Amino acid sequence: MADETLLDILKRRGVSRRGFLKFCAATTSLLALPPSMAAAVAESLGRVRRPAVIWLSFQECTGCTESLTRAHSPSIESLIFDAISLDYHHTLQAASGHAAEEAREHSMKADWGNYLLIVDGSIPLKDGGVYSTIAGISNLQMLQEAAAGAAAIVAIGTCAAYGGLPHAQPNPTGAVAVSDIVKDKPIINVPGCPPVPAVMVGVLAHYLTFGTLPDLDDLGRPRAFYGESIHDRCYRRPFYDQGKFAKTFDDAGARDGWCLFELGCKGPTTHNACATTKWNGGTSWPVQSGHGCIGCSEPDFWDAGGFYKALSTPVNSVTGAATAAVAAGAAAGIAIGLANRQRKARARAGHQTVTIEDLEK
Amino acid sequence: MNSLKNIGVHVVHVGGNGNARAVLREVENLLQKLVEEGEESSIDLSGLPLTPEDYDLLEETLGEGEVVAEVHSLGPTRIHETGIPGVWWVTHYNDEDEVLAEFIEVAWCPEILLAPEDDVKDGLEALRARLFELNQEGGHGG
Repeated sequence: MADETLLDILKRRGVSRRGFLKFCAATTSLLALPPSMAAAVAESLGRVRRPAVIWLSFQECTGCTESLTRAHSPSIESLIFDAISLDYHHTLQAASGHAAEEAREHSMKADWGNYLLIVDGSIPLKDGGVYSTIAGISNLQMLQEAAAGAAAIVAIGTCAAYGGLPHAQPNPTGAVAVSDIVKDKPIINVPGCPPVPAVMVGVLAHYLTFGTLPDLDDLGRPRAFYGESIHDRCYRRPFYDQGKFAKTFDDAGARDGWCLFELGCKGPTTHNACATTKWNGGTSWPVQSGHGCIGCSEPDFWDAGGFYKALSTPVNSVTGAATAAVAAGAAAGIAIGLANRQRKARARAGHQTVTIEDLEK
Repeated sequence: MNSLKNIGVHVVHVGGNGNARAVLREVENLLQKLVEEGEESSIDLSGLPLTPEDYDLLEETLGEGEVVAEVHSLGPTRIHETGIPGVWWVTHYNDEDEVLAEFIEVAWCPEILLAPEDDVKDGLEALRARLFELNQEGGHGG
């Protein structure tokens, strides 16, 4: 069974070649890859083996698991989960107590060096880590043991990725992120409170498809999902550009769907996939429901000032451009526009066509 | 529960955000490529910030064409040719009729409608086996 490829598993389930093509198209869309990559995804998916996955839940609220189990593409998601071997997840597995811990140890031994380790929740270090233990083992010790034999680690949720709510001031348990402890393994951060279900599935699908880690940004997040800000992908963005802002939650501007920037929206400084992937099967997302983004996928979002306090403008540094514009006697608005144009020009200059080799690196 | 209906809900349509026009320009571009170079391509609609009004504008501008097709594999996939020949609207659903992925394909024919080569080869084998059985039955009769 371990040697079965995903294509074999699909065939055994009676999925036709057209079904496989559809599966690949949906996966390509999920991975936020251009549709032209579907053929490459199909080829890779036809080859992949079934990796073992161990999921450890530390200082967390189970919101990440709740989110994941509500992934909105049941057939795609179930196929992905059929294709992995989830050997330990103490909320989802049937076994408990000693049997559960034995399953974890057995799986670690059997796949030492090859399993994918998924962690949700932060790790408390204060007072010898007594604030969160499983089967009498501190989270720190369990993470260190499991990480030693992992091929890679996925830190699911803002707690595992950056410390999250337990890490918020005054951090009574001394909570830290996975990356603060594990230094010698590749770590993919999938932050969000909770992360978008499709993003979690997408990261697993990428690992399944290519057997490698996706391209990450400077905070360890997959660029495919966290590459752009909420603001840049927001359907209310055109109102921002026109200077149309809601001033209160019940004024005419709010009713007409104007930009929520002045009501504290953290969209401009937040990188996540909510604006396009949305939530609850693509039904809606916070900004669409009339509330600003709280920036839950960014480090220390809980301590980043009030949720209803507007970000100071401008978001990006305009120092260089501002100097030039002020010298020319222009208004600050032009400086911001200039900075934005420069940023766009840089983005254009840096743009390259993505190939399958880039994705497999 | 009926009292809920008495709550006045005022639905406000905010209008399109201009992205439908950008998508339509992209379609124009891709269609020109198909005509001049024969290159097929598609646009993934799920990755784009479109309001319901944008969808309406896309659908209205492209219109309805002559072909409607449905593929049943991993849930239904519904395909229709738009009023612009060569521009297809392809929507993949799961078994619960939820949208998995949605594309505008610019192609002579959407790939999922073509019979896969391996399936055609299997089909030839299957037909020959059936003909063989038929001949055997015919042999008994004559």
